[in-house]
Amino acid sequence: MDIPIWLFIYVDSCLFLICYLYVRKIKKRIGFQLGMNVSMVMGGMMAMLSGVLFILQFPFHFTYITMLSALIGMGSGALFGKLFDYETFVAGLTNGAIVGLMAPMIGTVAEMPGRFVWGLHILFAMVMVVILSSVIRS
Amino acid sequence: MLILVLLLWNVGEMVYIYGIFRKKQTLFDDRYTKTMCMALSSISSFVIALYLQLLLPLHFVTYFLPSCAGLWIGWKFGSFMKAPASLNGMYNGAIGGIMGMMFGAVLQNPAICNIPIETEASFTSTLVSLVLFCAALHTLVHHFIRNSLTK
Repeated sequence: MDIPIWLFIYVDSCLFLICYLYVRKIKKRIGFQLGMNVSMVMGGMMAMLSGVLFILQFPFHFTYITMLSALIGMGSGALFGKLFDYETFVAGLTNGAIVGLMAPMIGTVAEMPGRFVWGLHILFAMVMVVILSSVIRS
Repeated sequence: MLILVLLLWNVGEMVYIYGIFRKKQTLFDDRYTKTMCMALSSISSFVIALYLQLLLPLHFVTYFLPSCAGLWIGWKFGSFMKAPASLNGMYNGAIGGIMGMMFGAVLQNPAICNIPIETEASFTSTLVSLVLFCAALHTLVHHFIRNSLTK
């Protein structure tokens, strides 16, 4: 099945940026407990999505893509964690690194990449909805 | 040889951090200890299980050793907290140990994951670069944690 991977990467990065800017705008209202969970979830999800999508796009560069997805996960977790506290920063960074090291492996063993990518995006959308609703309610 | 040097380096770093935490554990509040133990136990058990899986030969006795090492590391780091909360450290340590074992198995035999690797030289370069990258990650996280101790 043909899946437009670059479109997925573009949409994911746009959603990530929108969520980051929104959370940065109202960061004074978010407590540290919610902030820790938000940074861990966003770091893990971005690492997972980037690892799976990049390994499906370039299947011959396992080494570079493992490093790249670990760095992306660390960066996004640290970016969200830096808004709140030093401890949320460390938690998001570690979680993003661990998930990013694992994500390309799950991308290579996926039997049906199209459905797997769609399932991941449904999970990402649900996580976004949960995060935004809990951020708005706080 | 390279992996042995990296193993000794990371174990030394981990023991140093453990000593600091053991000495100062009454000074920290609960949340700080929980976050730091989570980060430390997951990354340390991941890296050390990866090295053990790469160094030890495949045998029945050594088969479960990396994940048990991860569990033990998580338990030691979790023991700073009160009893029910130390389950957090054990959980993260076990997850890190199992993941490190899986990563090591894939690096040893890339055909498990259908990773196309052509020659022996590219196989060795993949292994060495990923192991160096994991060691650098471990050093980075420990640097951040040491940096937070001085604040």
